[in-house]
Amino acid sequence: MATGWVPPGGRLKLRVSLFQNEKIESTLYLLLRIGLGLVFVYASLDKIWYPGLFAKSIANFKILPLPFLHAAAIILPWMEFLTGLALILDRYPRAANLIIGLLTGIFTMAIISAMLRGLNFNCGCFNLDSTEANIGILKVLENLLLLGVSVLLEMRFRKALHLKS
Amino acid sequence: MKNPTYLIKESIIFILLSVIIGVSAQSILPNGISVKTEISLLGSDSNATAIPSVSINPDRSDDSAREIKLPAAFSAHQNGGAIFLDARSEDDFQTGHIQGAVNIPVHAFVDSLPYLEKLAPDTRLITYCDGADCNASIELAFDLKMMGFSNVAFFFGGWQEWQQAGYPQGGDSN
Repeated sequence: MATGWVPPGGRLKLRVSLFQNEKIESTLYLLLRIGLGLVFVYASLDKIWYPGLFAKSIANFKILPLPFLHAAAIILPWMEFLTGLALILDRYPRAANLIIGLLTGIFTMAIISAMLRGLNFNCGCFNLDSTEANIGILKVLENLLLLGVSVLLEMRFRKALHLKS
Repeated sequence: MKNPTYLIKESIIFILLSVIIGVSAQSILPNGISVKTEISLLGSDSNATAIPSVSINPDRSDDSAREIKLPAAFSAHQNGGAIFLDARSEDDFQTGHIQGAVNIPVHAFVDSLPYLEKLAPDTRLITYCDGADCNASIELAFDLKMMGFSNVAFFFGGWQEWQQAGYPQGGDSN
């Protein structure tokens, strides 16, 4: 038998075998869902408590027109909090995950845009104090990781829907 | 399979809830802000910077930080009716500062909140930094306005003008 030969259906079998333990898969996705929810709830707390400072953080990006700064600073933290909480509690998780994915995508593009324009300031992504890292490649990678988790969760939700139908 | 429009409906519900709770919470939160962003011009004419000014109390008429010049800053210092806040780094502050000033590096503003939260909202605060080359005094004044302090001014001439005038100083160099 030639090495590397794959029997008919072999690749499919291998793929299925990676997920054959439904219990492990479910636990993994449960942890990802709750983990992502916790990250967003945590990220929202400082912003909810200090909306003015968060407005300043948004202003640093020099993207949003000034008249919309306060509205964004008031609404975005609560969107993070509510969607994060929904993921943790498994209430409307797919919609919550969709919003989280969109927000993370927008934040990532904003950071990349600021980096390309040579701006350098505290990100304000998780905390609003000086312990927060400046925008940079690490922040982009951090956001991409969150985006990856969000995509994985969406795939899981789709799979669950497909199995139900 | 459920109709995918449910996803859009649920997402809209999340957004609406965020708007309703977010706007309502501003009147309850101690640091709440109004939805309307007020734009102020801070700085002398040549250094004017457009920044949003924020007040926790929309009823206050005095909503923007003002610039004060050296004579007025010195007068406030002598009268003892104002707290001078040094927006520079800790190292610069240690080297020399306006006598009696409190160091609040603008990049570490939130770290100073425990001190600031003890002050009355109408405390007269005067921020400064190095001088005309830096904007940290304006940024700090902006942050203080966001906290809700009603009587904030920035001394744009800053440490350089104060030093040149030979006014009272503190720090290692004195």
